[in-house]
Amino acid sequence: MSLTLAAVLFLQAGVPPWWSREPLAPAKPLPAGAHPVDSFLLQRLAREGLKPARETDRLTLYRRLSFDLTGLPPAPEAARAFAADTRPDALERAINRLLESPSHGERMARLWLDVAHYGDTHGYDKDKLRPNAWPYRDWLIRAFNADIPYPEFVMMQLAGDKFPGAGPGGIEALGFLAAGPWDFIGHAEVPESKIDGQIARHLDRDDFITTVCNTFLGITVQCAQCHDHKFDPVTQRDYYRLQAVFAAIDRADKRYYPDPKTEKAAAAAEKALESARAKRESLAGRELALLGPRAKEWTDAIARLSKPAAGADPRSGWHSGIHPGPKHAEWVEVDLGEARDIASVVLHPCHDDYNGIGAGFGFPVRYELTVSDNPDHAAPRPLAVRTGADVANPGLAPVPHEAKAKGRFVRLTVSSLAHRSKDYIAAVAEMRVLDPAGANLAKGRPVRASSSIEAKPRWARENLTDGVWAGNDSNRKGDITELAAKLAKLRETRLPKEFQNEVAEADSALSRARAAVDALPKPSVVYAGTVHNGTGAFKGTGPDGGKPRTIHILKRGNIKQPGEEVGPGGIASLAHAPAEFNIPAQADEGERRLALARWIAHKDNPLFWRVIVNRVWRWHFGRGLADTPNDLGRMGEVPEHRELLDHLAAWFRDNGGSFRKLHMLLLTSAAYRRAATDDPAARAKDPDNRLLWRGNRRKLDAESLRDAMLAVSGTLDSTMFGPPFMDFVITHPAHSPHYEYDLFDQADKKARRRSVYRFIVRSQQQPFMTVLDCADPSQLVDRRNETISPLQALALLNNDFVLVMSRELAARVERESPGAAGRVARAVELALGRPATATESAALEEHAGRHGLASACRVIFNLNAFAFAD
Amino acid sequence: MFPTRRRMLEQAGHGFGAMALAALMDSECGAGVSAPHHAPRAKRVVHLFMAGGASQVDLFDHKPELIKRDGQPSDFGEKVEAFQNGLGPWLRPQWAFKAHGQCGKMLSETVAPLGAVVDDIAFIHNMSGKTGIHSQATYLQSTGFQNPGFPGMGAWVSYGLGSLNSNLPAFVVMPDHRGYASNGPKNWDSAFLPAQHQGTILKPESKNPITDLFPGKYGDFLGGGADAAGLGTLSRLNMSHAAERPGDGRLEARIASYELAARMQLAAPEALDFSRETPEVLRLYGLDHGRASFDREINALEETDAMGRKCLAARRLLERGVRFVQIWSGNDNGFPRRNWDSHEDIRRDHGPLALGMANAVAALLVDLKRTGLLDDTIVIWTTEFGRMPSSQGGKGRDHNPHGFTTWLAGGGIKGGITLGPSDDFGFRSADKGRPTLVYDVHATVLHLLGINHERLTVRSGGADRRLTDVHGHVIEELLA
Repeated sequence: MSLTLAAVLFLQAGVPPWWSREPLAPAKPLPAGAHPVDSFLLQRLAREGLKPARETDRLTLYRRLSFDLTGLPPAPEAARAFAADTRPDALERAINRLLESPSHGERMARLWLDVAHYGDTHGYDKDKLRPNAWPYRDWLIRAFNADIPYPEFVMMQLAGDKFPGAGPGGIEALGFLAAGPWDFIGHAEVPESKIDGQIARHLDRDDFITTVCNTFLGITVQCAQCHDHKFDPVTQRDYYRLQAVFAAIDRADKRYYPDPKTEKAAAAAEKALESARAKRESLAGRELALLGPRAKEWTDAIARLSKPAAGADPRSGWHSGIHPGPKHAEWVEVDLGEARDIASVVLHPCHDDYNGIGAGFGFPVRYELTVSDNPDHAAPRPLAVRTGADVANPGLAPVPHEAKAKGRFVRLTVSSLAHRSKDYIAAVAEMRVLDPAGANLAKGRPVRASSSIEAKPRWARENLTDGVWAGNDSNRKGDITELAAKLAKLRETRLPKEFQNEVAEADSALSRARAAVDALPKPSVVYAGTVHNGTGAFKGTGPDGGKPRTIHILKRGNIKQPGEEVGPGGIASLAHAPAEFNIPAQADEGERRLALARWIAHKDNPLFWRVIVNRVWRWHFGRGLADTPNDLGRMGEVPEHRELLDHLAAWFRDNGGSFRKLHMLLLTSAAYRRAATDDPAARAKDPDNRLLWRGNRRKLDAESLRDAMLAVSGTLDSTMFGPPFMDFVITHPAHSPHYEYDLFDQADKKARRRSVYRFIVRSQQQPFMTVLDCADPSQLVDRRNETISPLQALALLNNDFVLVMSRELAARVERESPGAAGRVARAVELALGRPATATESAALEEHAGRHGLASACRVIFNLNAFAFAD
Repeated sequence: MFPTRRRMLEQAGHGFGAMALAALMDSECGAGVSAPHHAPRAKRVVHLFMAGGASQVDLFDHKPELIKRDGQPSDFGEKVEAFQNGLGPWLRPQWAFKAHGQCGKMLSETVAPLGAVVDDIAFIHNMSGKTGIHSQATYLQSTGFQNPGFPGMGAWVSYGLGSLNSNLPAFVVMPDHRGYASNGPKNWDSAFLPAQHQGTILKPESKNPITDLFPGKYGDFLGGGADAAGLGTLSRLNMSHAAERPGDGRLEARIASYELAARMQLAAPEALDFSRETPEVLRLYGLDHGRASFDREINALEETDAMGRKCLAARRLLERGVRFVQIWSGNDNGFPRRNWDSHEDIRRDHGPLALGMANAVAALLVDLKRTGLLDDTIVIWTTEFGRMPSSQGGKGRDHNPHGFTTWLAGGGIKGGITLGPSDDFGFRSADKGRPTLVYDVHATVLHLLGINHERLTVRSGGADRRLTDVHGHVIEELLA
């Protein structure tokens, strides 16, 4: 083997040469009229003594093209027209027609979603819904249909927000980073201060960089998490430098405005709010300084008292039902046993870390207290009315209501519920009804309520009068109300008038800024890799102004053994551009992603171009030139045709990175058009058909098979874009959703869109699609497994979807052919893209005659001729 | 370009070439291991998984010190991060312990039925996990990795050893009838292994015990022999289609798959038909109660019935050549609790769950022994983590990934022994630096099946993946 100059340089630098990392020379000119694919392949075939198979017939070729470019079966009329088209450029015309079909983008997007491990739920524990993932899928479809040049396609997905001219697509494309699974519990319930929380975030970044490097570079960077990569030149330092690129972001909903003008206005309003908030906070700091050390003590005490003590009694209080909006009346009532004199009613708020709410969890926003002597609460008398304006959340401070009344049933009626997390509730820890002597009449008395979440010991009706509430621990000194009053007094005496004015002005500026943000139109939302501005356990870096987290090299990948700190960068052994990004610490975090995007999508980055043409080659030929698309390193396959791969990579780069041109180039080759025939001698020499001496028969993937049944039966709903359809019923949505596919009625027309629009659940994958080898959305899938099993046979025979489709196909051909003759023939041609053979006609006609057309259609959907494209 | 045996095997995984047929057909040697690495001691596995975190100190790990210190402030001698507020006072075991069997093993009275077979059981009291988060911890125990995307243990065994029968799947899973545990079917996924190795869900209580085994309501057009006639027509057409397309084994494999499917339609209902079992056997499993419905509150009778059905089905499946049966007790979080995640009240939830489990599992062990199957069947009992010896302020216990119990019985396992031990409170391994890890248990099970855990590998994501990641030691003390 002779070494190229580059290889020599690599050797000198201490990095062993490897084919995929060598620089990519410009594509060499080929003899006039020679097709690049064929000129390389035919040479090799001749050298190996292999004879290429004949060209396949036109109908077979058209079915192959149709599935490859659109994922759908050909309409018989289009196939016939192609077969009859004798013009010399008939093939190019057919390919162009298919490329221009909107279905083309849907097909390509589905292939890309495998690589991105896209899903519509988070996965892991609870597997919560991810309702805003789909705008990324829509962006992909549009991007493929618009034939965005590959470098731009990639840079959008890494740092689209850093290209001001990119429009909404620049945001939607960031869905790529967030497409994979996300550990909800590890983020939303475990804060970053805990080891488990740090591990969850470390693993989340691992997924970011694994996805990015496998997808765009074919480098298994994940192998360098605990030690330097054992086979490829990736060091642990490289690995953690890549983590540092994504150190500021999380997976979260990102709001954006498709209209650039509104986007600008929104950005300005949000910036104004941020600076108003910062101003107010700086005043708070100054205030504390002016007030002296005691104020700090009291403020800290209030904060401490706003949390329940460790090991506190878990019985919290009463919790109403959960509602989608705040305006849902709920009530809870204490029966005092007989009419008693009431001097005051005290409500004690709850504490719950849910959604980071903490103190004051679920405390009613508007409510009234009434008393009645009737069990049905007829003729109520008001004790306290708080319905005129929103009540400020009291934290854990008790809320007293002076009253002078007599009665038996004391009722709290909530007219405006408290916000929880995209939903609304009311919760109260304790209701104390005090008589004029200060005795609690409500203690231990029975409680009724309009609704109650009974989740003992925490939530129960009777917890409202059990004498247990957050902050009522006898061993804790201090009273929040008292402390707050003391603070207020101190403020009055210690703060200069000018300062108080300044605070008042800042407060009003803050509320104006808040109102301006609230007045913005409803934004679009995409689940993306983004700086997250959260509360509670899942804060993200937003509260720190998006400042990237500090990244250390972790010894043996152990979060408890941090080593040296590293900044953002690429992989040092890839010499096309400096791997040290040298981004100033105070720069916007997006600069890091932008630098990585430029470093990856670099004209001189050989891996960038080799990886993608190898991937596209696999999509069309069923096998990559190197059939490990996500790994072109030493553990990956070495391509049989290195020169061909290099030529195509350089050609693609030098032709603007246009996918369409690449499709056209590959699909017009003689290699693509070869028949899927047999030649025992050739098979003995090259059983895997690595030299493409024949066409590869492809087994239709799960989506193509499902979509084909819909298309053939005439029931395909071709609506594009938008939220995904669900072919399951969700039970237990509030806690951890259960996705029940069995409960979904497959006759329901809402599930007749193309499979790319299917709602993809990670934990409970669609059984029918899964048995057909559909991609696992928790894994980076560069090649799907292709299996044949009895469970697959059972699914295609008995699944409700296939049975419904069989009936629909029968109904369609009955509709379209008034006489019985020709119905079976029509069904076969629709399904197979060619006329039925004599054997098929005879057998299926006979079966239809005896057992009905639907049963014959079920047989057709189970044929090998349907499941494979020759 | 000329394939090695290894490459051909890899290709079989992707379905190309003539190997597909072989991979599909029954054979003692599966795709992964062409011959056992050494003489096996067992052929089959029953994996019992208690979802939610079963409490070691309330069931199997007797701690007198904990009884003595009940109610005193807990002190772990180190900084401990609890998942919730689990660092309350020490909480004594919620049941009394008594010695059982010749080995004199102390068992809590809520698992006392296991006393009858305790001399066959080897306990490991110093199991340790990595995380107190259900999802990751469950993945770790079921797949050997904390994150999704890896095959379940049964999938590895199916891949490594293939099937022992031609009518039923090699790896069968019976989830809790009330719902899946954390991660759901991802716990028995085939991940990067070929899909036929994924666990097939079997619901012994359902009319259609395997998904799509028979047509449902939309198949009403299939009466009058249409189904069988359709299969005949399909087979003839597929054969003539394949005859014109030689050199592609997938076409024949797919024809064979329909024949296997038809055999499974007969075999699966037969395997689940308890009507031929004697009254003695039904009594053994607690299935002779004659009740058609149960109380609303969680109760031991219903739990015994639910687990008993799964355990009896397991014995019948093992007899018919199913290689790996996984049984789950407990669904995921929710109220009222029907899992082992007893944050609120150990007695309320662990009581009926554990007694039902113990009744059914003791019956299974007795039955396997009676039929001779226990000689070459490994039974593993485990959970994703244990529970704290301290309370959460009330009657419940928080998650404890530092210490929990797993036990094994059957083929090649030394019975009546206890390994570990855990510390005085059952908090973690007494030898802090040397807990037993799930990798060790997996390595031991594979070892007993004749597989060297370091040699059963599949390339995925740039690495040669194995069930035991880069860890695992066979636990020699466990071997008979």
